[in-house]
Amino acid sequence: MRARLQFQPQAGERKTAAGAIALAAVFAAALFALAMPSAVLAADIKAGEQKAQVCAACHGPGGKSANPMYPILAGQPAQFTSTALFEFREGKRKNAQMSPMAANLSNADLNDLAAYFAAQPAPPPLRQTTPANVAAGRDLTVKNACIACHGAKLLGQQQMPRIAGQFQDYLRAQLTGFKAGTRADMDGTMSSAAQGLSPQDIDVLADYLSGLPTQ
Amino acid sequence: MKINAALTAALLLAAGGIAHAQQAAAPAPSWQQGMSGDQSTSTLHPLAGLVTGRPASELQLGKLKVPPGFKVEVFADGIPDARAIAIGDKGTVFVGNRNQSNVYAIVSNGGKREAKVILKGLNSPNGVLFNKGTLYVAERERILRYDGIENNLDNPPAPKVVIDGLPQQPGHFWKTMAMGPDGKIYFNIGSPGNIVLPGYIQASISRVDPDTGKFEVVATGVRNSVGMDFDPRSKKLWFSSNARDWLGDEGPADILSMVKYKGEEHGYPYCHQGDMADPIYGKLRSCKEFAAPVHKLGPHIAPLGMRFYTGSMFPAEYKNNIFLAQHGSWNRTVKQGYNVIRVVVDPKGRVIKSEPFLEGFLTDEKADPPMWGRPVDVQQMKDGSLLVSDDYNGVVYRVSYSK
Repeated sequence: MRARLQFQPQAGERKTAAGAIALAAVFAAALFALAMPSAVLAADIKAGEQKAQVCAACHGPGGKSANPMYPILAGQPAQFTSTALFEFREGKRKNAQMSPMAANLSNADLNDLAAYFAAQPAPPPLRQTTPANVAAGRDLTVKNACIACHGAKLLGQQQMPRIAGQFQDYLRAQLTGFKAGTRADMDGTMSSAAQGLSPQDIDVLADYLSGLPTQ
Repeated sequence: MKINAALTAALLLAAGGIAHAQQAAAPAPSWQQGMSGDQSTSTLHPLAGLVTGRPASELQLGKLKVPPGFKVEVFADGIPDARAIAIGDKGTVFVGNRNQSNVYAIVSNGGKREAKVILKGLNSPNGVLFNKGTLYVAERERILRYDGIENNLDNPPAPKVVIDGLPQQPGHFWKTMAMGPDGKIYFNIGSPGNIVLPGYIQASISRVDPDTGKFEVVATGVRNSVGMDFDPRSKKLWFSSNARDWLGDEGPADILSMVKYKGEEHGYPYCHQGDMADPIYGKLRSCKEFAAPVHKLGPHIAPLGMRFYTGSMFPAEYKNNIFLAQHGSWNRTVKQGYNVIRVVVDPKGRVIKSEPFLEGFLTDEKADPPMWGRPVDVQQMKDGSLLVSDDYNGVVYRVSYSK
């Protein structure tokens, strides 16, 4: 986001054809520079696609789950997915279905799967937030500092998942689990954050977040 | 905004232990504790390492810079969450974990160097220390010793407990250790939150006799020291410490300091960087009552591992200099640190100069994340080269020198 802003013309700058071309060239060079590390990732994504075939049974093709029982993995930050799989594998996070799936994954598997799901576009939200919960939900995300880690639009970054457009039931279950201390937590942040939420707050948040745009 | 501020204030009161009218007290995560109401829309957050680490082939090694004549290379990868480093008598390199639960040994196997897990299932074994055949491991609430471990890396001996029952605290629970000239193990007990009144023996540096288990507090008011070493000339204990967060980009500074006598008070939570009264606790005691730091390193720069250089590989002027790893800030809108610095100090404890030694991890001071690697500890090898751990990538680098 910030990187893109740099290439916008300054206020009052006249956009000439030559200027536009120069800008385009700079932008292309920047894209190329950004693409360099992903040359390594490209192979990983392909390997990840193979390895993800088994995931599709529950999480849907490309991680675009249509079943509210299983979270949407498409478009999740790679570091989040590799961390979540790691926690399942190490027994820190437990789930009857996921724990055995993750038990025998290698570190390379974790990263290939994470790269693959990160490369899939996140599907648009499958539902709309109840109008009465739009403002209340937004307030809760600010008051509880959700935006500090999950980002201003709650699209996730680094080890923090995209919660915008995730399934309502899944979000409710995670927040309830964090509050109860039954959902594993990387560093205690989410468990602490959920302590201040009432069951009603959790309902409002799940409703609000599940209806947010995913881009 | 007013509502936010009031709510945040209520949460802070709840965190401070004052009963909340409606529901159970909701402690903020320790890194968030101390945020003011007008910071509720801040997007600053701690950074997490890559849980699997990254292979050397994927690192931006070309970005790393060292002074002329020096060379930096990857010594070993495949050590996710690489934290403190210790060197065995036989040359084994031991590496601890903070968020994960392993201790690694880097060994040479038929000319090929490999990192392998030798201890697992430990509780945040951040600190490792080697002395006279024994590996000491500092977990969250205790320190263990593994005698003769270098002879049995594949089947380590059962540990003995040096000290147990240290505080079960949130916040800064990870430990680092240094071996004193008195044969005692010096270690930190961090503060249990960002800015709180610490309990007895918290926010301190203490020492324990590994043979008798006798425990003593050496210095108090040390918010969180993750690096300490003794000046080989004066035999004084030096330490780095991380200052509180959420007072803005410009302060307080993290510090490099020295303990002049047992029981010396270093200011936290009342006074930061020797001359900045805390907005909450500063009313209770004056900065004049406390030891001032030797050197202000910079706000939110996160100084961690430090060692006096005693080797002979580097040029003579490096002798007795301090190498200090700076893990880099998160609680600052413009990031700094993410490097190893060289601090020249005289035997009396004065700083002559401070300059970057290994840098290039920081790629964009305003980006999130701003870096591709984070130095944690520095350790001198027997040949005089310097190892540097990086917990973001799970890598140990080696810096060497030749004319």
